[in-house]
Amino acid sequence: MAGITIEALSKTYGSHDTDAAAVDDLDLAIEDNQFVTLLGPSGCGKTTTLRLIAGYIMPDAGTIHVDGRLVSSPGSVVSPDRRGMGMVFQNYAVWPHKTVFENVAFGPKLRKIAAAKLRSQVEDTLGLVNLTGLEGRYPNELSGGQQQRVALARSLVVEPEILLLDEPLSNLDAKLREHMRHELKQLQRRTGITFVYVTHDQTEALALSDRIAVMHAGRLQQYGTPYEVYAKPANRLVADFMGLVNLMPATVAAVRGERGVVDLGAGLRLDLALPSGIAAGERVEVAIRPENVRLGTEAGDGDAHAHAHARAEIVDRTFLGNLTEYYLELGSGQTVRAQTHPRQEFAIGDRVAIAVDTSLCSVFRSEKDAAQAA
Amino acid sequence: MGAAILALFVLVLLPLCSLLLGSIRGEGGVTIGHFVEALSSRLYLKPLYNSLILGVLTGLFSVLIGLPMAWAVSRTNIPGRRFIRMTATLSYLSPPFLLAIAYVNLLSPNSGLINVFLRDVLDADWLTFNIFSMAGLVLVTVPHTFPYVFLLASSALQSVDASYEEAAEILGAGKVRTALLITAPLVAPAILSGALLAFVNAIALFGSQAIVGLPGRIVTLPTRIYALFDYPPEYGLASALSLLFVAITVVALYLQRSFLARRSYVTLGGKGSRPQLVDLGWARWVLFGVCFIVFLVAIAAPYAALLAVSVSKSWGLDFWKSLTLANYRFVLFQYDVTQRAILNSLLLAVLAATLVVGIGAVIGWIELRTKVPGRRYLDYVALIPMGLPGIVMAVALIQFWLAMPIVLYGTLTILLLAYAGRYIPLGVRAANTALRQIDSSLEESARILGARWSTTMREVTLPLMRPGLFAGWLLVFVPSIQELSASILLFSSSSITLAVAVYNLYETGYIEPVAALAIINVLIIGAVIWRANKVGGAEIGRAGGARHEGVAS
Repeated sequence: MAGITIEALSKTYGSHDTDAAAVDDLDLAIEDNQFVTLLGPSGCGKTTTLRLIAGYIMPDAGTIHVDGRLVSSPGSVVSPDRRGMGMVFQNYAVWPHKTVFENVAFGPKLRKIAAAKLRSQVEDTLGLVNLTGLEGRYPNELSGGQQQRVALARSLVVEPEILLLDEPLSNLDAKLREHMRHELKQLQRRTGITFVYVTHDQTEALALSDRIAVMHAGRLQQYGTPYEVYAKPANRLVADFMGLVNLMPATVAAVRGERGVVDLGAGLRLDLALPSGIAAGERVEVAIRPENVRLGTEAGDGDAHAHAHARAEIVDRTFLGNLTEYYLELGSGQTVRAQTHPRQEFAIGDRVAIAVDTSLCSVFRSEKDAAQAA
Repeated sequence: MGAAILALFVLVLLPLCSLLLGSIRGEGGVTIGHFVEALSSRLYLKPLYNSLILGVLTGLFSVLIGLPMAWAVSRTNIPGRRFIRMTATLSYLSPPFLLAIAYVNLLSPNSGLINVFLRDVLDADWLTFNIFSMAGLVLVTVPHTFPYVFLLASSALQSVDASYEEAAEILGAGKVRTALLITAPLVAPAILSGALLAFVNAIALFGSQAIVGLPGRIVTLPTRIYALFDYPPEYGLASALSLLFVAITVVALYLQRSFLARRSYVTLGGKGSRPQLVDLGWARWVLFGVCFIVFLVAIAAPYAALLAVSVSKSWGLDFWKSLTLANYRFVLFQYDVTQRAILNSLLLAVLAATLVVGIGAVIGWIELRTKVPGRRYLDYVALIPMGLPGIVMAVALIQFWLAMPIVLYGTLTILLLAYAGRYIPLGVRAANTALRQIDSSLEESARILGARWSTTMREVTLPLMRPGLFAGWLLVFVPSIQELSASILLFSSSSITLAVAVYNLYETGYIEPVAALAIINVLIIGAVIWRANKVGGAEIGRAGGARHEGVAS
């Protein structure tokens, strides 16, 4: 099958002087048979990257190789119709003047497949996406989810080695989105097609991907497995983007090799791994996920395995069904969010002991210092 | 509210009914004799045939010119895009009968300047072109009609979501195949719809058909109906012929509507990206050259000719040896009709535009914001005049008001009724579009804060509608001030309008003063549009949708 190698890829829209690059010096190796997600907020360059892979636009710099074959470089781009890829668009792009059957049969017809074989191929693919029986319908007679599956079938029927998906689930309601998410994953496993998937939804990315490429402002921030990206964010941007996080300012109190102690004030001192090159006295930010903050009664019967304790007051609470979220105020006036099992109940105004699981925290140079260092 | 409904009756329904009655009223009661005669005599079948040929040829050439221009502007890197759009807009705005007069000066078989030059200077007799022919009629009509195709096709080409085409490409379809299999079917309804609007508008143009058609013995429906009013007037026959005319127009408009309805899917897709522009390389200059020729033929040549004629003592190859402003002095200060005609035209256009927009606003409001039973029919009635060519409207009004005890014939009032009736669809469309863009929650939030209905209208609804209504006002004003097809049957010496004055002066054969009057006419139209654009800002384009609907001229 086919892997994709992207090297030093850059693309700027409009004039180079005034506009920031949509994609800036991107390196990415997408292996064969993988489900890779390009994740980031809108405007991060993920869709531009996808369109560069598809060949709709020409890079300003850098190259794209598919299976070792050069397909894109400045000044020379293999056109999309000769790439043998498939693409599912955010708005589905199901042709409104063609029936479901005609939409799906478009690709095989171009490939001059004999009528009988074409019919069985199209019907098999429609079966694969659960659309059997709707062959004669026009797109305006279909629901959003059905149109989405027509778009999928249209891309799959030509058996592409690479399937590009541009936020294909973003226009569906929550229930259907989850259902389709599951089906997409199954489909990728079954077919072994390399999926390159663009989304701004981190939950979706975590659920689907073998690898996630987190992008921001045209640059790749981190490329790793879902667990790595979530638990070991490479920088503050990634930590902030991947779900809820408390980013708390702190001072490095002591350094011992790769570990050290940071002081968050109000008696909260954490012993944890530090990024290299950090000296005592430096200002840092500690990223603490709300689910890694544990609450106990004031007496201090918090988790025995926790590495740090402090006192805090509950200032707000939100019941979310499967968990309860608390807003806590530390002695220093800082606010911390914590998530607990709903069975563990506190009232607003309660004073509690908090414990932080330091093995799941990350430390970053604070923004100001990082800017000075760079 | 009641007044607006009453206005619809007086302006549209009653005249139409009297047209129907008039067509079946014979000397001895009800008869179908008028229809039989209209459909059997060569005197009437030939004009019918000519009108159809003219319409079909005009529709065809409108597509041949409008479509490549639309494609160039919306999908390629052609230079001078603004210039090309401006060419289409100016062609649409420019009065068709002036174009006809200009081309008579250039291409009449004996004295047309181009023909004289070809024959006497180049000795190329075979290159001369007789404007008084069907080909000539098409030549002077297409500049007015191709903008319909251009506007509809370019907006369709722009609104086809790029992903439709990209989806075809990634499945293996090249550029050409994508254009044929995906783009063409998606924009075809818009193109056909534009061609039909061109057809409907072309066959209704009395001015060019009288000026260019009649000398070449090409009689068409409007000119034939006009001739029926020579003494003794044959009202019955004119009514029957008018109804035939309406039938053709209505069929064409019905087809156009059903095509346009299918067009709805072009705008699907919401967040899609704009299509990428095709790089034509050196060929873009060739395409630009073609567009430039359209500019020359539709605007530059005719207006240069009119200007040249207007300042020459006697029109001919060496006209530039004796230039003069005497023609302007004559038409402005000695020809006693001109000043009256200018005042009449301005007054009528302002009143008609204001009246139509006012009625349109009320009808639009009733349709969209109330639950009055039968409100949809109001909208249908208000659209009827789209199917009524100007001369038919005049015939209907004459029939109706001659039967009334009030004497309106020959007054400014009947002209106002004709203009308001003809252009009411434009007003209703503009108001409808404007009102649709205002979410009713904006009005509801004023009400919940304690504002009464009248306060809500004054503070919220009307200010928000104003740009749309203003655009509608201008869309009515422009055709009103150049209206000829209906005015030609309704005017009297005291209620003469500018367009009629130009036409009458042309009939008398003084081509140099006619050209001067024509230039004055264009200057007035231009000044008003320019002034209105200044006042109204860029809001014209936003509500310009009504223009696409068009109205038979």
